[in-house]
Amino acid sequence: MSDILAELQPIFRDVLDDPALQITRQSSAATVANWDSLAHINLVSAIEQEFRIRFSLSELAGLKNVGDMIDLMEQKLAIK
Amino acid sequence: MNAYRWPELHVGLAHSFSVQLTQEMMQEFLHLSGDTNPLHLDSAFARESGFPDAVAYGMLTSSLYSRMVGVYLPGRFCLLHGIQVEFSNPAYVGDWLTVKAEIAHLNDAYRRIEIKASIENGEKVISKAKIRVGLNER
Repeated sequence: MSDILAELQPIFRDVLDDPALQITRQSSAATVANWDSLAHINLVSAIEQEFRIRFSLSELAGLKNVGDMIDLMEQKLAIK
Repeated sequence: MNAYRWPELHVGLAHSFSVQLTQEMMQEFLHLSGDTNPLHLDSAFARESGFPDAVAYGMLTSSLYSRMVGVYLPGRFCLLHGIQVEFSNPAYVGDWLTVKAEIAHLNDAYRRIEIKASIENGEKVISKAKIRVGLNER
């Protein structure tokens, strides 16, 4: 498990209100309960604040699952 | 009424206002909510429960957060997404309540504003809130 994936776990559990949630790189809005459009905004905003990074709408539009998000985050964190 | 648009907003932007809590407000909230719990209506019951007087409805004082975002920050184009309120101390009729709010985070992609807010009565914090609002400017 990547460090970022481990750090994302509590954020997803908190935002999606599921203490037992286990996300993987393959997790997406289609596979995780309660991951609706408003929850998605909450997730993105919480990740931005926790990791002190910013996403653009075009970057977010290309994401298909948690793995894509982690890859994008690694890019942003590498150039901080 | 303020009418902030996205480019005008920044982290740290803050607003505040004050309002006195009245018995009329309590009556209006009673009729609106149907909450007939005696803690809010019966001073004797409240004293028996350990409070000096009838306790103001928490959701009544918290309704001032609605005024804050709808009128002041960001104002006209506000679309309330969510609010988390934690109550710290009771409020009473006659209290002057000061509502303070400050932008803590701006999410550019979805134009989401995260606001930290509080209500104080001059002596104590009545409640704290995390408020999430969108900007519905078209």
